[in-house]
Amino acid sequence: MEQARFDAFQVIADPSRRQMLYLLSKNSLTINALAENFDMSRPAVSKHIKVLHDSGFISIEDIGRERHCTLQEAGFKDLQKWLEYFDAFWANKLEKLGKLLNDKNKKK
Amino acid sequence: MAKIIQHQLFYPNPVADVWDYLTKPELMALWLMPTNFEPVVGHEFQFTTKPMADFDFDGIFHCKVLELTPHKTLSYSWDFGLGNGILNKSIVNWTLTAKDNGTALLLVHRGFEGSEMLPIFDAMDKGWLGNINKILRLLNPTEDGTSKV
Repeated sequence: MEQARFDAFQVIADPSRRQMLYLLSKNSLTINALAENFDMSRPAVSKHIKVLHDSGFISIEDIGRERHCTLQEAGFKDLQKWLEYFDAFWANKLEKLGKLLNDKNKKK
Repeated sequence: MAKIIQHQLFYPNPVADVWDYLTKPELMALWLMPTNFEPVVGHEFQFTTKPMADFDFDGIFHCKVLELTPHKTLSYSWDFGLGNGILNKSIVNWTLTAKDNGTALLLVHRGFEGSEMLPIFDAMDKGWLGNINKILRLLNPTEDGTSKV
């Protein structure tokens, strides 16, 4: 049974996770290298990395004894979907409003 | 860099009429969604629509009136989520201006939590630059106030 996933905006609502994505936007990093940038316990770092991974923002690849994190497109696409959805949503609703107002004018 | 969705429209109707359609629940339901809105600052209300499984969206927008100046401005929070209590936050602002025997209506939908990090797309792989540019266009409305996808 798949766990209820965080959706994209919730993933990036957390400042530490945003910082992780920012660091990864410059370079792929090992989990150890990534953890060095944060003043938090290793399990806490791992938890954030798991959220980023589960939501499609990063991939994790085992190379030798290290785990490498790389930015992935899927998570960002979810953000894009929402923004596009709302853009189209409002365009559609406002057109509907225009028709109603137009009808109201005709009745006068 | 702006991170907002905005639409500006002109309706050949008096400001008072447009205001009614933005603030009377029975009129809002005709073009927007069923709602228990009340034009009172601090009032909490909902819009209800169909759930969308693709988006993990439960079909309810949770809102609260933040600001209200009759016939001029209205703003409310616009939070949406999975139905598990965790909400994505954003804010909707309406501005009405009397103009040329009608009403200029400006909608601004902004404050998507975390969206300030979207510029890091700039730094990412060229393989999906097309998508990135699309996002940037969406987040950088053109000067006439409309956003183009």
